[in-house]
Amino acid sequence: MTDDIAYWFSYLTNGKHLTWYASFQFTIFAALAGGTLAVVFGLIGATLKNSRFFPLRLIGTTYSSIVRGVPDVLFFLFFPLAFEQAVEWLVATQVCSPEAIAVQTAAWPPCKEANWFLGTPEYLILASVSLGLVYGAFATNVIHGALRSVPHGQLEAARAYGMSAAQVLWRVHIRQMWVYALPGLSNVWMLIVKATSLLSLLQIADIVLWADRLGAPNFLPTVGLVHEDWRWRYYLVLFVFYILVTLISEKAFNAIMRRAGRGILSEAQ
Amino acid sequence: MAQSKPAGAAKWPVVAIHDLHKSFGDLEVLKGISFTAREGEVISLIGSSGSGKSTLLRCINMLEVPDQGNVAIDGEEIELRGSGKRRHIGNEDQIRRIRSELGMVFQSFNLWAHMTILENVMEAPLIVQRRARAEVEAEALAMLDKVGIGAKASNYPSQLSGGQQQRAAIARALCINPRVMLFDEPTSALDPELEVEVLRVIKLLADEGRTMVLVTHDMEFARSVSDRVIFLHQGLIEEEGTPDQVFGATKSARLRQFLNAASHA
Ligand SMILES: Nc1ncnc2c1ncn2[C@@H]1O[C@H](COP(=O)(O)OP(=O)(O)OP(=O)(O)O)[C@@H](O)[C@H]1O
Ligand SMILES: [Mg+2]
Repeated sequence: MTDDIAYWFSYLTNGKHLTWYASFQFTIFAALAGGTLAVVFGLIGATLKNSRFFPLRLIGTTYSSIVRGVPDVLFFLFFPLAFEQAVEWLVATQVCSPEAIAVQTAAWPPCKEANWFLGTPEYLILASVSLGLVYGAFATNVIHGALRSVPHGQLEAARAYGMSAAQVLWRVHIRQMWVYALPGLSNVWMLIVKATSLLSLLQIADIVLWADRLGAPNFLPTVGLVHEDWRWRYYLVLFVFYILVTLISEKAFNAIMRRAGRGILSEAQ
Repeated sequence: MAQSKPAGAAKWPVVAIHDLHKSFGDLEVLKGISFTAREGEVISLIGSSGSGKSTLLRCINMLEVPDQGNVAIDGEEIELRGSGKRRHIGNEDQIRRIRSELGMVFQSFNLWAHMTILENVMEAPLIVQRRARAEVEAEALAMLDKVGIGAKASNYPSQLSGGQQQRAAIARALCINPRVMLFDEPTSALDPELEVEVLRVIKLLADEGRTMVLVTHDMEFARSVSDRVIFLHQGLIEEEGTPDQVFGATKSARLRQFLNAASHA
């Protein structure tokens, strides 16, 4: 019995498993950073959509309608790669000789010096930005609608008392908007959490990739077959993780809602 | 009341409105309105629904920009650019400074729902006028006491009755030390029993000698509180004078008709 416990303990704390546990931080980081960026892009997008200047309004509208239609998997593959190559191209125009660029039409990057090696941290940041851009388009729509729900008279009062446009926007309009936006934003947040399971597409050794590797039939020459195909057990752990995140998120959103709704929602007083 | 104050002629013009025109689409709401509110004067604007009273009041602080004509506050003309529909505020700094001296009270209170009553009253003095917090807080509490809701300072607007909310809104206007108070039908959203408490506060302010422009449907109140009454009809001033002249010796047939209708309402 104690032998069994000791055996399983050392199995679950071997190097690969520890790496798996550590990889949860990538998922959590991508979700939090992606979520924050989505709100920032959403605020910018919604403000653009409300702008009095047609070109700005057009940018806001285009962003929210086009990006919402693109599958997140596609954007996830497209954006980091496009960004990497754009940076490499920019660097190449600076460091590579013109001849090298002219000759090396088939090779990428044009010269070795322009190569940009992306490691996990870089990919993680690019992944977060991708999440932020895709889901920021949804947040734009949610926030735009919420901004319109704020009672107009209160904005007028703010102007009548001499607040600048920025003060009205920030101190009254956006401050009161959260109450109306939070239900929609909590949906967007859950979509972002789910989309973090795509991290392995970007060569990030994330929780899904490790669950896959660890669950595959494991044969060691010295021990024999450690276990057969156990992937479903590992995936089950991921299920439980995502359900826990969902429960915690719900609690957090309720708390934020109570804070944002003070004075506005009668039950939040 | 009206007799106890000297005739306005010698006093400083706090609000001077010259030849205001304003249209919404094809509807010409103001067709050339001029009047002056002098230091300490209480002016009531009366007229039937849709005659342009609110629009006129909102032109004073440029919540509506007039298509033509000018407004000067304390002798300083508000800068406007462009003409007709394209006319707009010409100097953001100026309009913000001027607005911060005009205490507007709305029909629907328009208190900021996410702030407590005290925060509502302190907001503009702190954020726009950039005065010291301690001084503003003391003044705000004094103003809330004055309008009789000192005990509600830490409540949210939604926790107050309509009459209390409107008195809070008046305290908010008072706390900016306004050059003039602008009231747009401050009691029409209130039940009759709540109206009384708000009217009492406004009367108190009138007796203090504050300059006020008041849009009202309450002829009784207009008569008791005003130095001068202006009757608007179809975008023009049809008749104006002291309450005794306007209500006692009505000249215009339209005003007589309006007053008859009002007294039978
Ligand atoms: N922003 C606007 N856009 C279009 N029309 C407007 C606007 N504001 C006011 N109007 C119109 O202008 C006219 C005058 O409106 P205003 O609110 O000034 O009248 P009022 O005298 O205050 O009436 P009430 O006694 O009902 O408050 C009305 O016919 C109204 O429908
Ligand atoms: Mg009106």
